Amino acid sequence: MSIGIYEELKAMVGQGQPEQVAVDEVCKHMIRHWCEAMEDANPLYTDEEYARKSKYGSIIAPPTMVQAWVIPPLWPVREMPAVYRRIFEICAKAGFDQIIDTDCEMEFFCPLFPGDREHVVTKVGEVTAEKKTSLGNGHFITLESTYTNQRGELVCVQRVIILMYKAKGKG
Amino acid sequence: MRHKILYWEDIRAGEELATLTREITTTAVVAAAIASRDFYPVHHDLRFAQKAGARDIFINILTSGGFVSRYLTDWSGPEGELKRMKFHLGVPCYAGDTLTMTGKVVRKYVDGDQHLVDIEYSFIVPGGSHCSGTATMILPARGS
Repeated sequence: MSIGIYEELKAMVGQGQPEQVAVDEVCKHMIRHWCEAMEDANPLYTDEEYARKSKYGSIIAPPTMVQAWVIPPLWPVREMPAVYRRIFEICAKAGFDQIIDTDCEMEFFCPLFPGDREHVVTKVGEVTAEKKTSLGNGHFITLESTYTNQRGELVCVQRVIILMYKAKGKG
Repeated sequence: MRHKILYWEDIRAGEELATLTREITTTAVVAAAIASRDFYPVHHDLRFAQKAGARDIFINILTSGGFVSRYLTDWSGPEGELKRMKFHLGVPCYAGDTLTMTGKVVRKYVDGDQHLVDIEYSFIVPGGSHCSGTATMILPARGS
């Protein structure tokens, strides 16, 4: 049982982390790489001429790419945001060292344009007691993120549920 | 190049979206993980994925979300705008799986000056439901 870690995780509800700022500006190249992988032919993302004549007047980033802009780089290594670090520390010491995303909810307010720099603030929403899952036992944790652009305009509100679990067959 | 325009007036609730299938190769899993800046090894390292209890590497959640928005705007054309979406991930979509994307318009309504449709979608892999959820899209209206 892991009553101890459930209490520690519950104590994190409502806790946030300082604002993270994207390393890269929103740019056409990263948008194109995304579209290439998703096989997304929407001309708003890659066709300059079409996008210029659209209501946006320019290329926009695909809305669901919102989280990609703020993922920390592989190198140079950045310290993991405090909230994530603390969740991983609490879970890992009880053997819940695997992570998987289970749910995602996003509402979009304004698009990101090339040249924009995204900001995000994340806080812990809900935490569940230990549950049995097909991957192994674990805790579900809801993370609530608010994405804005460099002018502070709201881009997206997102709720992601992650499962921190102990892989089956591990002691 | 001309692009499809789907007007709100021309949609009816209950209408099904064309099914889209895609073979998710190992390359596709990795390309999408890297394009979404997600270097977590379960999305590119087979040994790591297997130690984590998975049978192969599998697509990340940003890719599932990317497939949802791509599927929806493929249907609506570029004038359709994703307003909100919500999905639950079931079984992973592994390298080698065929992903079958289906959807249905479940509601059509007006809110203020926005002409909206709600869509339920379900993405299936051989192992079961990979991703299912709902989305609200803003569609262009004739004469507005």
